[in-house]
Amino acid sequence: MNGSKVLLDVENLQTTFRIRSGFGAAGVHKLKAVDGVSFQVRQGETFGLVGESGCGKTTVGRTILKLYQPTEGKIVYDGQDITQMDQKAFAPYRRKMQMIFQDPYTSLDPRQPVSEIIGAPLTLHKLVSNQAERNERVRELVHMVGLKDDHINRYPHEFSGGQRQRIGIARALALNPEFIVCDEPISALDVSIQAHIINILEDFQHRFNLTYLFISHDLSMVRHISHRVGVMYLGHLVEVAEVNDLYENMRHPYTVSLMSAAPIADPNVARNTKRVILQGDVPSPINPPSGCPFRTRCQYADEICAHVMPQLEEVSKGHIVACHHML
Amino acid sequence: MNERLLDVRSLRTNFLTGGGIVNAVRGINFHVDKGEFLGVAGESGCGKSVTMLSIMRLLPDTARVQSQGILFDGVDLQTQKMKYMRSIQGNKIGMIFQDPMTCLNPLYTIGNQLMEPLQIHKKLSRKEARKRAAEMLDLVGISNPERRLRQYPHEFSGGMRQRAMIAMAMSCDPKLLIADEPTTALDVTIQAQILDLMKNLKQKFDTSTALITHDLGVIASVCTRVIIMYGGLIMEQGYVEDIFYRPAHPYTIGLLKSVPSAGERTQEQLTPIPGTPPDLMNPPPGCPFAARCSVAMKICALAQPELHEVGDNHAAACWLNHPKASHMKGRLEV
Repeated sequence: MNGSKVLLDVENLQTTFRIRSGFGAAGVHKLKAVDGVSFQVRQGETFGLVGESGCGKTTVGRTILKLYQPTEGKIVYDGQDITQMDQKAFAPYRRKMQMIFQDPYTSLDPRQPVSEIIGAPLTLHKLVSNQAERNERVRELVHMVGLKDDHINRYPHEFSGGQRQRIGIARALALNPEFIVCDEPISALDVSIQAHIINILEDFQHRFNLTYLFISHDLSMVRHISHRVGVMYLGHLVEVAEVNDLYENMRHPYTVSLMSAAPIADPNVARNTKRVILQGDVPSPINPPSGCPFRTRCQYADEICAHVMPQLEEVSKGHIVACHHML
Repeated sequence: MNERLLDVRSLRTNFLTGGGIVNAVRGINFHVDKGEFLGVAGESGCGKSVTMLSIMRLLPDTARVQSQGILFDGVDLQTQKMKYMRSIQGNKIGMIFQDPMTCLNPLYTIGNQLMEPLQIHKKLSRKEARKRAAEMLDLVGISNPERRLRQYPHEFSGGMRQRAMIAMAMSCDPKLLIADEPTTALDVTIQAQILDLMKNLKQKFDTSTALITHDLGVIASVCTRVIIMYGGLIMEQGYVEDIFYRPAHPYTIGLLKSVPSAGERTQEQLTPIPGTPPDLMNPPPGCPFAARCSVAMKICALAQPELHEVGDNHAAACWLNHPKASHMKGRLEV
């Protein structure tokens, strides 16, 4: 993975939402969902993004695909700055950058049969010249994700959750993309079905040299599928490293507590693991704490954490951490 | 320790629907011992929640519950009137539901909802109930309880709502606490807080707990005994070590293999279970797992094996290690 080129380069990405609560100008608040996030993803790599709900991981994924316009920062895809591109100029990139959504129940149009859900993008991007060609490609895609011919004319409500997620994957693959944002693709599924979806994703990565941004809160799945992992907290990236490096030599106190909170499906290991249980909830991103965002729940926090925002620094090759008291 | 608090005998629950009868629970026997932490695991639709709701008699009118006895604390709940059930719901049996947002009434304050069971079951006055409610909130780790009692559910975060639910369920000193996916809607860090809290409360009050979940990691970290359900039947039950280290049913093995093991990132692929769960409107005559089982035999499609002992307090429902099948040698590897 190290030799391949940088496909996606995100620099100081910020996404701010304006929120109204109450009347007039005083009621408008700014919510910094993503506050200065930088990372790179190489071709053929899976970059895992983990964190609690509300930490901004989904917003990062959506901003990269320009479903949200970033407030500041730069998104460079394959050497091309796409940050300020208008929709028309961005259209060819839409073909290369796809998304698999979290909820397979709401991300498929209930009024469209599978042939239309998968086929529409093909026509839209003029990848097929006639109906026969389109049908052939839809059939091929449906087979690729493990569904059958007679599924093609059915509607989403006729499928189970796992099958719907397969349709979502087929739709994302229809345009021969290079880069796919997988936004919690398995969290709505049963355990026995999750493994199917993960295997399909891994298989396609090998076959088509796909690059994934894999967003999830399931730390063991992230460990299984990712090459590198970034940990987010309250809009900030607090630690990034190679997957085994991160899971074995974690340096940020938040990473440590997040990892120790993850349930392990092994009773002896689970019983002997010392847990660092965080107190309280994630602070509101409308009114984030000064200095380090994690200081309100961190057992090592002191004076400096309240005043100075820690910067990301490289502690070993490819391992960056933002903390004043790294472990 | 081995005194039985709840003993359920051949429980069957059917739902009458427009399309036919759904056999959600198909004759299961199980028990909860005093002071134990029981885990009930299985995929969605396997009947784990319906089992608990049947016992509590909280199902809608379309449900038909039959059994040969639901003994709770020496009383057969099956024969009791609704009035008796009302008197133990939220009193001797506490329940925590999956989604705390939809289970708390948005129109009443937390205090109001916490005080209600205390006033009804424990016959406390308003003042006493308020005091006790504040103590309970404090116990589950909500700071500033007096002020919190006056707030509404929307002013609480997800984790705090679940804490409030636990406080409500624990407020009348229940003998049995049923927790139906209490942490599924929560983040891992909050999940760890809630599980830790449940473990502590269990130790403090010696409440028996039945935890329903689909997360094997949660089971491994808190439960002492486990029931694995599939297709409305119990596939395997036993102590947590037996289930995780010496699983005797191919379904349990499949479940364990479909989650990544804690350890190095490997190139090894996960082993998913092929196929989908059976349609409980037309359950198969044989083992419900036969169609997805890689070691299924002829008999598996014809008859469902009953649960039989495979070790000390360890039982499985599989023809492979059934006493009548004496040819099996070595351990089951699927």
